[in-house]
Amino acid sequence: MKVKYIINGKEEEYEIHPGEVLLDVLRRNGHTEIKGNCYLGTCGACTVLIDGVPHTSCTILAAKVNGKEITTIKGIGELDSPHPLQQAFVKTGAVQCGFCTPGAILSAYALLKKNPDPTEEDIKKALDGNLCRCTGYVQQIEAVKFAVKLLKEGKNE
Amino acid sequence: MLKLKGVEEVYYPTSVKEAVDLLRKNKDVAEVVGGGLDISVLPNPRIKYLIFLDKLNLNYVKDAGEKIKIGAMSSITDMINAEPLKDYLHGRVKEILSEIATELLRNQITVGGSLGKREPYSDIVTLLYGLNAKVVLSDGEWDEELGINDLYRENFRKGLKERIIKEVILEKYDTGKFFFSMKRHIRNATDIALLNEAILIEKDGNKIKNAIVAVGARPKPAYLFREATEFLKGKELSKELAEEFGKFVESNVETGTDIRTTAEYRAHIAGVFAKRIILESLEG
Ligand SMILES: Cc1cc2nc3c(=O)[nH]c(=O)nc-3n(C[C@H](O)[C@H](O)[C@H](O)COP(=O)(O)OP(=O)(O)OC[C@H]3O[C@@H](n4cnc5c(N)ncnc54)[C@H](O)[C@@H]3O)c2cc1C
Ligand code: FES
Ligand code: FES
Repeated sequence: MKVKYIINGKEEEYEIHPGEVLLDVLRRNGHTEIKGNCYLGTCGACTVLIDGVPHTSCTILAAKVNGKEITTIKGIGELDSPHPLQQAFVKTGAVQCGFCTPGAILSAYALLKKNPDPTEEDIKKALDGNLCRCTGYVQQIEAVKFAVKLLKEGKNE
Repeated sequence: MLKLKGVEEVYYPTSVKEAVDLLRKNKDVAEVVGGGLDISVLPNPRIKYLIFLDKLNLNYVKDAGEKIKIGAMSSITDMINAEPLKDYLHGRVKEILSEIATELLRNQITVGGSLGKREPYSDIVTLLYGLNAKVVLSDGEWDEELGINDLYRENFRKGLKERIIKEVILEKYDTGKFFFSMKRHIRNATDIALLNEAILIEKDGNKIKNAIVAVGARPKPAYLFREATEFLKGKELSKELAEEFGKFVESNVETGTDIRTTAEYRAHIAGVFAKRIILESLEG
């Protein structure tokens, strides 16, 4: 069957198997910035935003979200124009192997969209489904706080 | 990794009737999809047709006078953010919901999917038992309102090939007369419960007029612990009662052993939760 998505602002049409999950469809079509790991909804590596809401793309049936807007990590900033969250993750040492990073940043991005001034508790809750085996979580929380500061000051580092 | 290899076709019905007609026509090889979490994580290889419920307008949490109505397609996050549930039972229900699973999964798990699947460890099922919620089953022409126990009567899975869960109805409890609390025992923030317990107490002054005690993740599915209700009825709320009730629950609750923990440990936890909930109720 055919599905259409708006991915990072661009309309895309793909041929899919009706039983496929979104993660596989997106990676097969070049969106390898989305990582896959557990395929059970438990690690968060595959996080994307669907109509602005973070989801584990390994548990979302691709056909179910036909027509929706999907945002991957590339949709919020690129290497030459990173989003303050991407800058903050690098700056605070919240990235080591980087496998969890796209998902963690997207969860944080969704949080800051609805709550630009989160408490530490809010940050922990928003990132609770994004597991990181390298940095621990202290740096990630610091990164989100730093990004809040950057966004408030309206400047990119 | 192709998870649902057997799926040949998907449908996007726009009415409950259309969804149920498709389900009835294809029975054992068709499945309605709520959030799709369970369906994608534990795929059933026999399923050929998926029926998405996204276009049925069943995503709502409405204040309906004496009641609150929750559409089957509402996710846990939708419920957490819903105005009618903000201060419901002193915000305790919202607080419990926000502790279930992870933000990512709370965005996907629907109330209809939780009831439809009836995972033994489901927190939603225990919560709704504890709140004495009603479930509306519908075939698009006729709606039936049932208690959770009636929903789970024999052959409930077969019944869900004839109708779908349309909504859940919650009573608006007067917090001057009712006290509610729920506890989950988890080993880390994102774990599934080793045991969960929800208690609703109807008070007459300091006396317990009635109570509902629901225990889940035993590891069998949640059940109404009627002996505990009988134990509480007519008793004065006090620290001594909390102590006695904790012991009663530990000795009488039906728990079992699985790979995760033993029946004895679960019973002990159930007793501790029962005691804590009564103590909490003394604080209001
Ligand atoms: C990693 C993981 C962690 C989890 N953690 C928790 C937890 O901590 N606490 C908790 O309570 N649960 C938890 N869950 C369980 C989750 O609640 C169930 O998997 C639930 O069924 C998911 O809801 P859904 O809407 O995605 O269901 P779906 O996968 O869409 O459906 C599940 C079943 O219900 C049926 N169904 C769906 N909607 C309806 C309807 N409206 N009418 C009739 N039948 C319907 C489907 O046909 C299917 O058989 C977890 C699940 C996973 C995979
Ligand atoms: S790969 Fe999706 S949650 Fe782990
Ligand atoms: S940086 Fe390696 S898993 Fe998080």
